[in-house]
Amino acid sequence: MSESSMTRPRAAAVHHTSLGVDNRKLGVWAFIGSETLFFATLITTYFVFAPVNRMRPDFQDPRKFLDIELTTVLASILLASSLTMVLALSAIKRGDRRWFTTWLLATVGLGLAFIGGQAYEFNHLYHEGLTLSSSLFGTTFFVLTGFHGTHVAIGVIWLLSVFFKVRAYPDSPENPMDVEIAGLYWHFVDLVWVAIFVLVYLI
Amino acid sequence: MAGHREEHGSHVHGEHSHSDRFYWLVAGVLAVVTALEIGLFIINEQHLIAKWLEVTLLLILSTIKGAAVVMFFMHLKGDAGIFKFVFLVPLAFATTLFLSFMVLFSDHVGIAG
Repeated sequence: MSESSMTRPRAAAVHHTSLGVDNRKLGVWAFIGSETLFFATLITTYFVFAPVNRMRPDFQDPRKFLDIELTTVLASILLASSLTMVLALSAIKRGDRRWFTTWLLATVGLGLAFIGGQAYEFNHLYHEGLTLSSSLFGTTFFVLTGFHGTHVAIGVIWLLSVFFKVRAYPDSPENPMDVEIAGLYWHFVDLVWVAIFVLVYLI
Repeated sequence: MAGHREEHGSHVHGEHSHSDRFYWLVAGVLAVVTALEIGLFIINEQHLIAKWLEVTLLLILSTIKGAAVVMFFMHLKGDAGIFKFVFLVPLAFATTLFLSFMVLFSDHVGIAG
């Protein structure tokens, strides 16, 4: 690693609450808690309507539409992006800006690859006849996975904003916490896909 | 700046940082677990194991994956208790919600019909 890529370890700026923890980090964890309930509701709705879907004349069988090969690739991409995200956080905590840039942009790239893969899947399903209004399966599936994809897109924008902020203010003591809370959101998005992958695609 | 306090390093509020090597190891375990999930799916497609067994094993494997992401990548393990509280309480509610509705509506249309 070149010497120029190394800077001194960053001092973390902490906005304390009366609880003794950083208020932004606490806010993001509380947000993640609410998002957990949001996605649990969508997943529960998917399963509640699954038997109803089977009994309706417009029934569409999930097994005939869902492509496990493509979804496995998407799951692997998101898992890999969680690794690159945590490596980016590790790099900025030790003040290694070069590897921080590498790992954060890799995370963004993997996020964009996931969105591209999901767009391909949605387009393929649409041409196969599965749409938002074609059946209860189509409605619940697209609402669930569409909201997840939207979260990934928001995550990519968040990560890019952190990247440009760190580039503009490389010596800001806020940088490690900015990366950490963006990372928390990103890992949560990965966590949701872990659940969707098993509950919707495999079971 | 008022309200700000600078602390050196990442060891604040009991937070634990791991080495990059450790993160690669966790990612390797996650990859293996994902491969096992796909293997189970393929085995079930061949009707080699009972559906209930496949579902049980898949849920166990996905729980392991999720726990690893939360504990090690999100650093919840060893972090402040309030972070665990604001995440785990909604997660418990969410799990209860899911299981309750599954009991109420599994294999029949119920009020959803």
